[in-house]
Amino acid sequence: MTSKPPKGRFNMLYFASAGSFTRKQVESLPAPLPLAKLFDTLEKRYEGIRESVLDHSLVTINLAYVDMDDDEPKGEDGRPIVIQEGDEVAIIPPVSSG
Amino acid sequence: MEERTGPPSSQNGTTAVSSVRKRTSTEESRRGPSRPLTQAEFERYSRQMIVPGMGKEGQLRLINSRILIIGAGGLGCPAAQYVAGAGVGTIGIVDGDVVETSNLHRQVGHSTSRIGMKKVDSLITHLRHLNPLPRYIPYPFHINAQNAADIISPFDLVMDCTDNPATRYLISDVCVLVQKPLVSAASVQKSGQLIVLNCPPAPQGQLDGTTAPCYRCCFPKPPPPSSMVSCGEAGIMGPVVGMMGVAQAGEALKIISSALNIPSSTQPLDSEVVDRNLRQPYLLIYSYDLEAAIGPMSFRALKMAGRRKKCFACGENSTLSLEGIRSGTPNYEQFCSLPAPKHALSAEERITATEYQNLKERGLLPEHHLLVDTREKEHFSFGAIDGAVNFPFGKLLMTAAQVKRDKSNGGAEPQTQMILPNELALDTVDGNAPIFVVCRRGLDSQEAVEKLKEMGLDDGGKRKIMDIIGGMRAWKEEVDSTFPFI
Repeated sequence: MTSKPPKGRFNMLYFASAGSFTRKQVESLPAPLPLAKLFDTLEKRYEGIRESVLDHSLVTINLAYVDMDDDEPKGEDGRPIVIQEGDEVAIIPPVSSG
Repeated sequence: MEERTGPPSSQNGTTAVSSVRKRTSTEESRRGPSRPLTQAEFERYSRQMIVPGMGKEGQLRLINSRILIIGAGGLGCPAAQYVAGAGVGTIGIVDGDVVETSNLHRQVGHSTSRIGMKKVDSLITHLRHLNPLPRYIPYPFHINAQNAADIISPFDLVMDCTDNPATRYLISDVCVLVQKPLVSAASVQKSGQLIVLNCPPAPQGQLDGTTAPCYRCCFPKPPPPSSMVSCGEAGIMGPVVGMMGVAQAGEALKIISSALNIPSSTQPLDSEVVDRNLRQPYLLIYSYDLEAAIGPMSFRALKMAGRRKKCFACGENSTLSLEGIRSGTPNYEQFCSLPAPKHALSAEERITATEYQNLKERGLLPEHHLLVDTREKEHFSFGAIDGAVNFPFGKLLMTAAQVKRDKSNGGAEPQTQMILPNELALDTVDGNAPIFVVCRRGLDSQEAVEKLKEMGLDDGGKRKIMDIIGGMRAWKEEVDSTFPFI
């Protein structure tokens, strides 16, 4: 695990081309944040990231995949997912070469 | 020569498919036909057979299995070495390329003496020296929508070691339809990914909560081509791709030797095996950082979901079929290809490398004209056009976005100037001095022209900003053949 985010924040990790786009591997962002608002939040910080990276990437919270397909991503309990303080969220773009 | 004409028993691939399925239905076959090992096998495989969980049974499963490796490059070479070394009985290798010098830092199954040889032949030469016992089947051409099903069908497991998204989607789709487990790895620059898909295989459309996902379940949308970087363009570290290829072989050997590829429905009583099935796979990602020691982010295993209900290939209402794929539906190239170019520069905003050189030589360029080179600094470090200023494309995009934000926030321009190269500082704008932009191949430079205009560097249209058509590749072809183009 990376170092714990400060109080009231979550860790945001950027892998592969997400890291190239943001020019960083990790940063902390204010929590709580509804998962449905994650992409908007990142787009505001890094204009163009949605189209270039986010739309085709997979997203994990605390090392588990979350489905971003719906307008309001829901957890197993059927409630909208909210990113909590201390969570670790990651953007994983596909890598294709070999 | 018989090997060259086609896969085993594949005059009609379905024979092999049904024989594999039949095998799974009986206990003896699931474990592979029992026979004593030959002395040659016993000696060669002794060190791996004594590993707990492997044994003679696991070894016989490997010997009786057929693995297809698609791609004989940075992933395929290390993967094939371990698959062959472990004694997998039949190994098919697909690749249409020939060995080049620039492959050799990572493609460890080839050699300097085999430059120019077909990669499949080169790799099989290497593998035969390593282990003469397996049967090697070369497919010295690229896999495509027409031949994919015929090539894949006779095998028990497929390893995707290819280098582009269109082929990855094709291979995954065919593996769903002919029900083969797929071990998929990928790597570029400093990142690697590995995932076991479609294992154990289940019929298309079956969604009972226990079925494993396919590639499309994990990555339903292909990355836009603009963000796609190949090893040729972005570079690749040998150990990164090697690590992924070796790990890929490890997964393939595990699946075959432990019979994880056998659908759980055919063995309902063997709960131990059912538990070991991979219906909820993990995606392993490897991040290699040239600027830091091995750290907490180096390896991560991410828990993935099972089959996606709405998946185009394996989901509930999928209409994907082998006949469709053969006749061009879906169109993989189109699915993964360029959308209409967004940057339509006018003719006055473009100049050829030759024209630029002529203007410069004849002294027709104003003294303060600027040449911005948007390649990454590593590319720039090997050489550039005289007087060029390096402003890497990614940094330029970030800067442009920040300028835009600053403007909409009422203009905090000093902050922006800090990150512009000195030569581009906004207060030095000279209306008479054009800016030329050059990149590696002429795509980024067009977008860069747009962005520099957006940033106001065209001084409200007074200053010309122009793209050098075809980038440094054109420069090498047209102007300076000695330029060290990478």
